[in-house]
Amino acid sequence: MIATNTATQLVTPQAEILLNPQWAEITNITPEADGISTYWLRFRDSLEQQEFRFEPGQFNMLYLPGFGEAAISISSDPEDHEKLGHTIRFVGNVTRAVSRLKVGDVVGLRGPFGTYWPMKAMEGKDVFIACGGIGLPPLRPAIYHIIRNREKYGKVTLLYGARTSGDLMFPHEYDVWRKAGIDVEVTVDRSDANWNGRVGVVPMWFYQFRIDPRKTAVLTCGPEVMIRFVIFEAMARRISAESVYVSLERNMKCGQGSCGHCQMGPYFICKDGPVFRFDELQSFFNVEEF
Amino acid sequence: MPNEHLPEIGSTITIQKPAFNSILARLKEYGYLSIGPRVKNESLVYESIESLDDLPQGYSTEQKPGHYRLIREKHSRYFDIIPGAHSWKQFLFPSRVELFELYKNGNGWETATQRVETPSYAFIGVRACELAAIQIQDNIFMRSDFTDPIYRARRTRVFIIAVNCTHPSETCFCTSLGTGPRVKEEFDISLTELDDVFVLTIGSEVAKRILTGIPFEDASGYILTNVEHKLTHAEQQMRRKLDTTDLPELILNHLDDPYWNEIGKRCLSCANCTQVCPTCFCWDTSDEMSLDGNATKRTRVWDSCFNPGYSHQAGGNTRPTIYSRYRQWLSHKLGTWKQQYGTLGCVGCGRCITWCPAEIDITAEIVTLRNEVKR
Amino acid sequence: MQNEAEVIQELGKIPWFQAIKPEHLKKIAEISHLKRIKSGEVLFREGDQDDYLYIVIKGRVALDIFIPHRGKVRINTAEPWDLFGWSGVTPNLHQRTAGATAVVDGLLVGIDAAKLRDACEADHDLGYVVMRRLVNIVASRLLVTRLQLIDMFASPEEKNAK
Repeated sequence: MIATNTATQLVTPQAEILLNPQWAEITNITPEADGISTYWLRFRDSLEQQEFRFEPGQFNMLYLPGFGEAAISISSDPEDHEKLGHTIRFVGNVTRAVSRLKVGDVVGLRGPFGTYWPMKAMEGKDVFIACGGIGLPPLRPAIYHIIRNREKYGKVTLLYGARTSGDLMFPHEYDVWRKAGIDVEVTVDRSDANWNGRVGVVPMWFYQFRIDPRKTAVLTCGPEVMIRFVIFEAMARRISAESVYVSLERNMKCGQGSCGHCQMGPYFICKDGPVFRFDELQSFFNVEEF
Repeated sequence: MPNEHLPEIGSTITIQKPAFNSILARLKEYGYLSIGPRVKNESLVYESIESLDDLPQGYSTEQKPGHYRLIREKHSRYFDIIPGAHSWKQFLFPSRVELFELYKNGNGWETATQRVETPSYAFIGVRACELAAIQIQDNIFMRSDFTDPIYRARRTRVFIIAVNCTHPSETCFCTSLGTGPRVKEEFDISLTELDDVFVLTIGSEVAKRILTGIPFEDASGYILTNVEHKLTHAEQQMRRKLDTTDLPELILNHLDDPYWNEIGKRCLSCANCTQVCPTCFCWDTSDEMSLDGNATKRTRVWDSCFNPGYSHQAGGNTRPTIYSRYRQWLSHKLGTWKQQYGTLGCVGCGRCITWCPAEIDITAEIVTLRNEVKR
Repeated sequence: MQNEAEVIQELGKIPWFQAIKPEHLKKIAEISHLKRIKSGEVLFREGDQDDYLYIVIKGRVALDIFIPHRGKVRINTAEPWDLFGWSGVTPNLHQRTAGATAVVDGLLVGIDAAKLRDACEADHDLGYVVMRRLVNIVASRLLVTRLQLIDMFASPEEKNAK
């Protein structure tokens, strides 16, 4: 006979397994740029798929048995309940193993996790999205949401940059977004023979836009160096720290604020982020190696 | 005159020392695996015990920064020792545990059904600081937004016999954190050892049942005074102090101070402190695949913010230098932990001081930092 | 030479020019002209000695450096309101450090750099205003160049290979 000295909670057997994944099938793979592809996933359990909801900015933990998990932002339309898009850059062990998968293969999926872009709080405001490189995929769901609810937002601008023209994400959608009322401006760090657009980094183009600091929300995502200078430009234009939102990235293992890896100061990037309002980070954002 | 009926919850009784073996026997009957301090390899470990004979009778400990010795004394007390490198967290939050096993099924994977034997532990000899550490870990592993099922399964079954420290060691500073030496709450039985009897306070229904039939006496006024005297003496004996009045601000407002570079030169990043610390909770997962690729085992292991690979990510390592990792540990333990969990993460047990090969003493380091920033 | 009034009208749309004194704006307009450019038109090449400072009103101008075996490498583009060709206004360097090619059809204001240097010498108030503006432009260009140098989008392997 085993005596227990506190009440045990009634839990389903699945919940007893830590990090237990749901299984999802790859229905499509879209190559986006060199070393980056979007994997379209559908939960094997169709009810699970139909009921899955996520907010723009949230991420899933993608699990490849034998290799491990990777935190991947969901980059598809939140209103699309048939499939989920995960734009993956092949940089580590897990993601490189994912790059060898084919349509029909099955991966584990846990989520959605994290905080999200403040779509509701931004209603009635101008939205200035400044992002670079692989920072656009986590913002794409927000763009879709804005397009669906265009009348709820004021002036909407997307200022996006990548290293070269071949690295630009989703170029075939820019005109679609322009037609939907978003001012899409693109730049590259380095030009090649095919490029007739802007050459120069994202933060340098701020001056070209009429930004009303009283009613503009800035959303930014990308390399941390770029984020820092975007924030610099935003604050130079008197946009308050409470109106700037950043999405950060750190090494994530559990996605649930338990394993400690993704901590930045007091915050667990997986649980208190990845989307932060900048004033929450201000006191330690510029501390080296924090 | 031995008492016939069961003692009430909250009451304090005394038992003759040999009667403790009956308690251990009763726990075993009830299916508990009793874990207590044992002498092993000239140190103190937490392993299974069967009787009083297994306890470190007649020992005390000598601890300094980077120094731990078991000393043979002339007394015959069982609980005079102060815990060694082991803490109770290894039982509730095992250093290595299998999460699940998968086997390939066509294009996908299936979880193998597992028989998980969750032991019912009886912790014998939990110090007040260790009890506080368990409570801190309860806040981490069992929250409203997330519960670790492994921790919860073990924690809800645990039977705790806590011990009031009467001889703190030189590295102890629990009084500074308000966690001891007196055991206050959340125990099944709390125990104070006098020379000829154990003084027990009953903390739960289960404790009452365990004590059924074990001869006891209600603690007399003399006994209670004696206990009080010993506990006060223990408090006064604690010379090491950590002034927490300006924490966490002292650390969080001075993250750029050159002090961190200095401590970074001494720290070896060996991760000892995080392993012996009873509140450190970081973990990692690893996958092992069978050679034929048809089965995978997922395991959870302890990790440490001192591990170089801890903060490795796609863009590089966010904390490549030792000083930034030391700062991460200290600014978390005595800093950001408060915002995360409501208290500081330290319980004043002193293990990190005792087991640091570089002899780094966080109580001294805080003083150094305080003086540095005043300049 | 274009009509001075047209130049003033075009410059007046640019925020910086709105902030300077009307007499300074007039002095600059007197030594400026409007220039229409066609896509692909080469304004100047590296090493040229021509002495004009340009402000983009409409269109886009690419700045490039010629590298043997690689050809012309585009290092920057000048967009509406950008100023390029400013090396002519600095005291010593009067030679083009990069070439300029129109990417699309556009409209520029060209300012005679030699006359601008003289005007600044004669009127130090104007000189201060012009130099202060130039310092801002050069500082911002420097920052941008540094960010381009950091190559923030490089993948870790590339960074380690270097």
